[in-house]
Amino acid sequence: MNRRHIGIIAKKEFSGLYTEKTIIFAILLQLFIAMFSSFLLVGLTAMYDPEAMAGYSTTRYAVGYAGNDSPLVAEFEKHDDLLLYRIDLAEGVAALKERQLSAVVYAPDTPPDADDPIKVTLYLLQNDLQSSIINVKMKDLLLGYEAELREIRSDRLESFPLRLNFPEGITGTDFFEFVYGLLIPLLVFMPAIISAALIIDLITEEYQRQTLETLLSTPVTFTEMVWGKIVACELLIPVQAGIWLLLLSVNGIAIENALPILLHVSVGGLLLILLGALVALHYRERTSAQFIFSTAVVVVVLLAMAIPYNPLNLIVRLSVNTIGYEQWVVLGVTLLAAAFLAWVTTAYARRVGDERAAGA
Amino acid sequence: MGMLTSVWTITRWEMRKSMTSMGRNVLPLALALLILLVLVTGFAAESGIHLQDGMYRLGVDDSGIARIFAGDERFSVYESTSLALWQNRFSYDVLVVGGEVYAADTGKGRSALKALERDYGTYVSRVASAEPDLFAAYPLWIELEYVKSEMDFVATESGQQVGAPTDISSPPRPSGPVAAMTPPPAGIAVSTEDLRAHLVTDAGDSPISRYTDVLAADTGMEAFKTPSQLSPPLPFDSIILIFVFIFPLYFTSQFFMMSIMNERIGRVGEALLSAPVRPAAILLGKGLPYFGIMLLIAGLITLMNGASLLILLPLVPVILFFMANALIIGMTARSFKELSFLSIFFSTLVTSYLFFPTVFANVHVVSIISPLTLVVLELQGDGFTLMEYVYSTALFFATSGVLFYAGMANFTEERLFSEKPLLPRLMEFIGSGISHHRPLLSLFGLAAFSVPFVFMVQMMCLVLFFNVPMPLSLVLLIGASALIEEFAKSVGIYALLGSRPDFLTVRNMLAGSFLIALGFLIGEKVLLLATLSQIAESVFGEVLFLSLQVLWMPLILHFVGVLIVAVFLKVGGSRWWIPGLLTATVVHALYNLHFISGGLL
Repeated sequence: MNRRHIGIIAKKEFSGLYTEKTIIFAILLQLFIAMFSSFLLVGLTAMYDPEAMAGYSTTRYAVGYAGNDSPLVAEFEKHDDLLLYRIDLAEGVAALKERQLSAVVYAPDTPPDADDPIKVTLYLLQNDLQSSIINVKMKDLLLGYEAELREIRSDRLESFPLRLNFPEGITGTDFFEFVYGLLIPLLVFMPAIISAALIIDLITEEYQRQTLETLLSTPVTFTEMVWGKIVACELLIPVQAGIWLLLLSVNGIAIENALPILLHVSVGGLLLILLGALVALHYRERTSAQFIFSTAVVVVVLLAMAIPYNPLNLIVRLSVNTIGYEQWVVLGVTLLAAAFLAWVTTAYARRVGDERAAGA
Repeated sequence: MGMLTSVWTITRWEMRKSMTSMGRNVLPLALALLILLVLVTGFAAESGIHLQDGMYRLGVDDSGIARIFAGDERFSVYESTSLALWQNRFSYDVLVVGGEVYAADTGKGRSALKALERDYGTYVSRVASAEPDLFAAYPLWIELEYVKSEMDFVATESGQQVGAPTDISSPPRPSGPVAAMTPPPAGIAVSTEDLRAHLVTDAGDSPISRYTDVLAADTGMEAFKTPSQLSPPLPFDSIILIFVFIFPLYFTSQFFMMSIMNERIGRVGEALLSAPVRPAAILLGKGLPYFGIMLLIAGLITLMNGASLLILLPLVPVILFFMANALIIGMTARSFKELSFLSIFFSTLVTSYLFFPTVFANVHVVSIISPLTLVVLELQGDGFTLMEYVYSTALFFATSGVLFYAGMANFTEERLFSEKPLLPRLMEFIGSGISHHRPLLSLFGLAAFSVPFVFMVQMMCLVLFFNVPMPLSLVLLIGASALIEEFAKSVGIYALLGSRPDFLTVRNMLAGSFLIALGFLIGEKVLLLATLSQIAESVFGEVLFLSLQVLWMPLILHFVGVLIVAVFLKVGGSRWWIPGLLTATVVHALYNLHFISGGLL
């Protein structure tokens, strides 16, 4: 293989990307998604963990209390974000429907030390953003009530859990876990998947437009042509993933170990690109190749995620800086797998090239 | 009759062609991959998803306590002596020394602490659920009842806060009728052992399982929860379903896109065009199988979820919209990679248009601009009215109709087999909608037909600027919508300039601008009438029907806007289009700003 020929093909693909401005669409899309990031961060974190929402609200919520007297009433005094109104049940539920109350509780007349459980009925608005918040606040209150009841009934218990004292007043959110444990690996790997889909387009296009003959009448061999396209797609990965890291840090999400992350994504992406190239060489037709490839990607990514120390997990560990030497082992294994696929791709491409030469 | 036969013939061709090209080579491998997928899914379910493994470092001085957290793979657990741990305390995110928990004062440390607390809670529940006297360990059970609240448009418009108490001393009184209620019974109707079993199975719930559970059926046990089991209802839980519905649609429209593109590659479609069939018949015939497949897939998903088939009604315009866009992209893309990027770009935009308003289903009436909100409402069992259906789908029907028409009008040899950059090509498409004999009338029609697109993009901007701080978001929205409107209005003149450079005489400029303004205004009002008539009895109705003096003001505004761009184009040629647009936008935005601030003061 001639390195210069590969370079020429790669340059040709880049100029194609440049003149068609397709790459601009990709970057516009990144910007577009980044513009949504404040929504993403608040909204999607809330999807991931609605309890986080409660931290954003400062209003006092009105809660209706119906039924019998119980120690639950006293619990409300400990929570100054909840305001208790004694109310008739039917009237309370009607007021809830009109959103004059945020929730209604009904307490039965079961005494605290009874053998039976105490069943409290909690009325909330269905499918409402605010009822998620009130739910979290009520949960806190009911947990306190439960602890008190457990204390009263403690002489009936037989085993006790190991005790741990947690520091008071420190509250974390799931924001961190969502962003670093889910969002970053997904966003950073997106360019790799896009590049792999791109190689299919580049290869099948030569077949379907019947431009292969023209291309192969130059001194460039078929294998060199395939590798030139692979190089072009591969180079796009660190650039796009780098833009993601940059956009995320503009949004105030600091990421450690940016360079190793780009390294891992590039190698993992190479694996996917080679897979795409093989599928494209086999099918020579875009629809079939893209269909098979996207199904295969789902299988490969799912399989990878089920194995500990997969590249996606490494990106998580790298971005939060909890990483050891093991990353180099995984990188080595991924590189070996990529090298194997590279060998298969080269052999396949050479065979196809020979067939072409024999046919011509 | 002839039309129907040719449509049917082409449908059969299309199916045979895709079956043979896909069938022989793809199906065996696709089947193999499907089996692999099932196997891998099983494996993943067995071994778990290792995405967040080892995020946190946890130091523990007691092996009994270390065992509690051994199951949580987020923690790399290090066991050592208290002294050694304390000396190296800065290399851990959380430390458990002598029964006390310490966390690093970082975002990561706090997050690790929270994860640890949750794990500990699960452990405590596990110990408690083994108690012989279950109701001593779990004395309190909660029964959740959900109540539906009727929202009214006016209340949400004025931004009324829900549940904020106004009077501390006396409870709020409902203004409406109060239905009689029997208090719930004090006992639990489920056996103790069932409750215990439920406690054990429910112990390991993760944030992700909540979403997978959305699709699973409810068991009777869900009604009773201990306080620690209370998890807030997801305001967005139906949204996961939206992806289930939209993803296959996106995939299938790709096949249609490719089928259109294939007609152009290697001039395969030439033979088809020379056959005595109309382009409309070709496109309908080619599209029909894909439309059918999408409807079938959506129907199957609906049935699998045990939902009502009424869900398909709001999905039909979404399918049509996907197909119309697939048609245009398939007809304009110069290469496969352009096709890929355009379709990724387009589908992300559409998904966010469909997705974000739906987040506010049940919260704000505006959420109905996305047809998927109707799907959510139907899934909840609320259903939707005919008016709501028209309101949320009109834009989709209208835009796909216009796009299909543009596709049909341009499905000719000249357009299909020439290669041009995207923008000139789109201009060509639009230009072909302008009649040679009646250019002015065409401009009028073009302006009217551009309105659904303008509305769509404006809605998108509304969603986009939603999270920007208030005064800025308003200014941005005014600027953006002015730019979008001016752009849409000037497109016709710009396209005409390309094909007939001598068109812009003073008389034509004035008449054209007036007709564009008129067309735009009429389109705007008709669409508003269709989409907002559910609130037509309100203030909007008066604006629409009674106060005619309000109508001529926007007409003049639209007229001035187009005229400015036309003058720029006449003086400077097509290069002056963008400066002209910007000038018109500024004028338009100033007018809007004045009108809005006047309305506010």
